[in-house]
Amino acid sequence: MHSLRVMLHNELRYQLRSYRLLIVAAVFFLFGLGTPLLFNYLDVLIPAEDFVLPEFTATDVVEEYLSTVAQVGMLATILLAMGIVASERDRGTAAMTLSKPVGVGAFILAKFLALSATLAAGAIVGAAGAYLYTFVLFDDPGAGNFAAANMLAWVYLVFATSLTILFSSHFKNQLAAGGLALVILIVLALTSGLVVMREFSPGALMTEAQSLAAGAGIQNWGVVAATLTLIPLLLLAAWHVFRKKEL
Amino acid sequence: MPVILCRNLTKVFGKTPALDKLDLTVDEGTIYGFLGPNGAGKTTTLKILTGLSQPTSGQAWVDGIEVQPNSRHLQSRIGYLPEEPSFYTWMSAREYMKFVGRIFNLSPGENDRRCDQLLELVNLEEAAGRRIAGFSRGMRQRLGIAQALINRPKVLFLDEPSSALDPFGRAEILETLNRLKAEATTVFLSSHILADVERVCDIVGIIDQGRLVIEASVDELRRRFARSVFVVEFEETAPAFAPLLDALPWIERVHTEMGTEGARFSIRVKDMVTAKQELPRVVAASGFTLRRYETEMPTLEDAFLQLLGRKDSNA
Repeated sequence: MHSLRVMLHNELRYQLRSYRLLIVAAVFFLFGLGTPLLFNYLDVLIPAEDFVLPEFTATDVVEEYLSTVAQVGMLATILLAMGIVASERDRGTAAMTLSKPVGVGAFILAKFLALSATLAAGAIVGAAGAYLYTFVLFDDPGAGNFAAANMLAWVYLVFATSLTILFSSHFKNQLAAGGLALVILIVLALTSGLVVMREFSPGALMTEAQSLAAGAGIQNWGVVAATLTLIPLLLLAAWHVFRKKEL
Repeated sequence: MPVILCRNLTKVFGKTPALDKLDLTVDEGTIYGFLGPNGAGKTTTLKILTGLSQPTSGQAWVDGIEVQPNSRHLQSRIGYLPEEPSFYTWMSAREYMKFVGRIFNLSPGENDRRCDQLLELVNLEEAAGRRIAGFSRGMRQRLGIAQALINRPKVLFLDEPSSALDPFGRAEILETLNRLKAEATTVFLSSHILADVERVCDIVGIIDQGRLVIEASVDELRRRFARSVFVVEFEETAPAFAPLLDALPWIERVHTEMGTEGARFSIRVKDMVTAKQELPRVVAASGFTLRRYETEMPTLEDAFLQLLGRKDSNA
């Protein structure tokens, strides 16, 4: 526990000092404000002469915001996580740290927790902006459902983090790690409508988040349970893979 | 009492053996020089002994603890400086030292004291607040040495510690190593700079192709493997001195350099005692005008090259 605490403190400082926390918060905040604004002023941006724009509701705005979080957030997560272990191994800082009494588990877990915290901060800032502007420009999207839907979106990003960390632990090349994680996440998203995948795939988590935001509740608890089970399993796999590596 | 012990330590990368049944014993409190050509297996040995790499077979113990990959028990007792130390460059030197101190669970007060002490020891106290990103290679090397000492290690593993340092930096590091010896710290030092090894090491182990070729004191190595060389210089530009030596049985090889201001003969001998008695007589009998006559002491480098069979014909 001691080494995890030291490493986590270090990783959190890195998130601050490297402006990662600030950048992630700014990106989420931008999309949080941007989505309700875009929907509200869509008729000004796209003058509708030959067609009639539909009347957007708060639910439409929230669904679109969650969809943006899934796509942009996923890309941001991969970019942040793909070098998290690979670049340290490549540069030699992992060897410097792991020649000291720091376990591989603490080394990886600290990185995962720090990045998850950064994503949580971003998700909170983005959600606050989205909620406020949706409330002002449209209607109250329902604080409880909105918060729960955003929490599911964050869980999806945490899943993407753990998947990317696994590949970052395996590959020395961070582009390979990020590329493979991206391909898998895209495949999961594309196949999330299939029968079995709809019930158990983490790729269907954002559909559940949107359903939650729309007030319909979670349709498939198996998706949430599978995602929450896979996150520690992926981290365990990352630990197993990385401890076999030559530093 | 051995503080480092390797038995049949073998490491194979793919089909390439890096270590081949390496047996090694290092006694407590010694400064052990680990020498060998590039690719001989020095860094691999160090990585295994520090828990960063797993041997293919064989066993090793450091301070009585069996070496296992990433063993925290072992790693709390050792210090390690890799060949090219890498740091979190967004930190300052002091921040990095404190981070390492926290890993070793030093109390805040002790951590502060130790950081100041070690940064002063490696002459980085003025740069302590600067970001490591702006450090030169030599400064990084010195910081690497400081961080390796923060836990007062029982065994210190140094991989080429002075390779990036200027002569002043090297002298300071060697002095530090001598001081550590007084504190009973065992130092396992891999280096290409044989003059440094000669100055500080008690015992030298030479490794080649993953096997320990020899282990002996510096003096013993010099005595056993390095041949003494006599240097004789004459005022004459082209004296026929070499033919006078050809028939002498105690002469091994003569290297001649003819210049515009005289001639220089480097004479390697097989029998030092006879050479000391006979060579002055040969010089006197030659009738040439002697400018210089001296015996060059054999160096560890001579012994190293001789032992690994890569000595050129110079001298």
